[in-house]
Amino acid sequence: MAQDVITQAPLGFGLGLRTQHFDAVLNTEPDIDWFEVLSENYMVAGGKPRYYLKEIGERYPLVMHGVSLSIGSTDPLNMDYLKALKQLANDVQPQWISDHICWTSIHGVNSHDLLPLPYTEETVKHVAQRIKTVQDFLGRRILMENVSSYLSYQDSSMDEWEFVNAVAETADCLILLDINNIYVSARNHNFNPLDYLNKINPKRVQQFHLAGHSDYGDYVIDTHDHDVPSSVWDLYRAALKRFGGISTMIERDANIPAFSALEAELAIARNIARDTLGETHPLNAAKGRKNMQEGKVIV
Amino acid sequence: MSQLQQLQHAFMDYLLASAAVDTPPTLAQTTQTFKDKIAEQGGINADIRMQIYANAYRIRLTETLETDHEMLGIYLGDELFERMAKGYIASQPSAFTSLRSFADALPDYLTQDAFFSQYPIIADIARFERSLLNAFDAFDTERATFARLQALPAEQWPGCQLRFHPSVQLFQCNSNAVETWQALKQQASPPSPDYQGKRAWLLWRGESRLTEFISLSEYQLALLLGFIGGATFAEQCEMMLAFFSDAQAPMQVLQALQAWFQMGLIRDIA
Repeated sequence: MAQDVITQAPLGFGLGLRTQHFDAVLNTEPDIDWFEVLSENYMVAGGKPRYYLKEIGERYPLVMHGVSLSIGSTDPLNMDYLKALKQLANDVQPQWISDHICWTSIHGVNSHDLLPLPYTEETVKHVAQRIKTVQDFLGRRILMENVSSYLSYQDSSMDEWEFVNAVAETADCLILLDINNIYVSARNHNFNPLDYLNKINPKRVQQFHLAGHSDYGDYVIDTHDHDVPSSVWDLYRAALKRFGGISTMIERDANIPAFSALEAELAIARNIARDTLGETHPLNAAKGRKNMQEGKVIV
Repeated sequence: MSQLQQLQHAFMDYLLASAAVDTPPTLAQTTQTFKDKIAEQGGINADIRMQIYANAYRIRLTETLETDHEMLGIYLGDELFERMAKGYIASQPSAFTSLRSFADALPDYLTQDAFFSQYPIIADIARFERSLLNAFDAFDTERATFARLQALPAEQWPGCQLRFHPSVQLFQCNSNAVETWQALKQQASPPSPDYQGKRAWLLWRGESRLTEFISLSEYQLALLLGFIGGATFAEQCEMMLAFFSDAQAPMQVLQALQAWFQMGLIRDIA
């Protein structure tokens, strides 16, 4: 049952691994607890991407994050993609695997965007059944992330947080809560982001994403290309209070700054977590990398 | 068709229609069909909400073309690159789970497009940049050393064949596309297009994982094509008689082999 869904201790504070930082990570071995890698970027035969993945994976715990599962599509699940994902997971041995509660492709055409789903009972059943199939195929629970959205459908009959909870419960999967995405959607759909946080089932949340966005006044675009703004830090503080010590990472997808700038942002996250949860909380004491170096089993 | 399926078709039809080069006569109907499924919820209107997704679709794919084809972008300039991107995005909706493959068909598109096909060097530059990408993330394998060949008994040499590293690629064209690419890379003015004579280049990823390329003379190309095609050392020596004297031919083959091993081109000796 839900009480023991999450069995893994928090990994601590991580960053999204980006190609621009491969050398910086290998050469300086920075004090980062773990890295999240974009699955699709490593579904290649070899070369630099796979070399750095292997080298960095020997030094840090990794988690795999995908964008092409298209879990909500009405196309059949893409088994070629799933086989490639499973093979990559065999190679990487990630702490966990995640993707998004959305759809990306239909009729075999990929939008390469995380498109929103209508929040209906029909969609919950459809998505949950497909997540179960994926979990059975991969032989593990996966984490599903809330996406930013800019429109709502007339068909929707529930709030997004109800939909996310229902999908996670029905599929028996875990939740990756993107704090920035909640903020972006709250602004675009005029709801209180704290209502969202306070309604999400805390027993299934295993990871937080933090990121920045572009604010156009009337609406906000989830660009993941800016520093984390104060509005998202405030929401992160509230999320820590609500969910406790959840593995946290900063996800920068574009306009990638120097690695030191991301380390500085991660230090802000650490400080907020220390202030909110206390120095001795497992999240703050978590040392995914240190445990790995000492040969401790993380899971 | 389920409601969800209808909605997803309407959404994708709208994205594709919005990305068309010339406004399709059906755009208004396609837009309305999707708009009918959008809730009015205050704040910005449904048209703007839909447009955010249409813009994101176009921008994301355009950025992929810019990233994969940086020098081509500089060569074309903003206006022509935009024309190419719009045309390609409209004609080649992505069937891939990774954006890495989205522009695979760009050289073919440029060869077939009525406007761009007038300037074949453009397709050649695109094809060269895709070859660089393919060398960059090709499969990793061990590489054989020249010492292994030297260790073979003399009687086995005539029949020996080579297996090449997966990153090895031959690039042939009739234009000065690679010279143009090199000039742009060095932030120099590109030479005028030149279609005088065939050119050949060898691309590969070295031991240090850097992608490298060199130009090939006619005999070097023939040698590589022969070995890649499975020809034996003896057959290649004989083939070199078309270029060199009886005495020189085996030496030329041997020198080429020594260089290839040093460059990390050879995976195995069969």
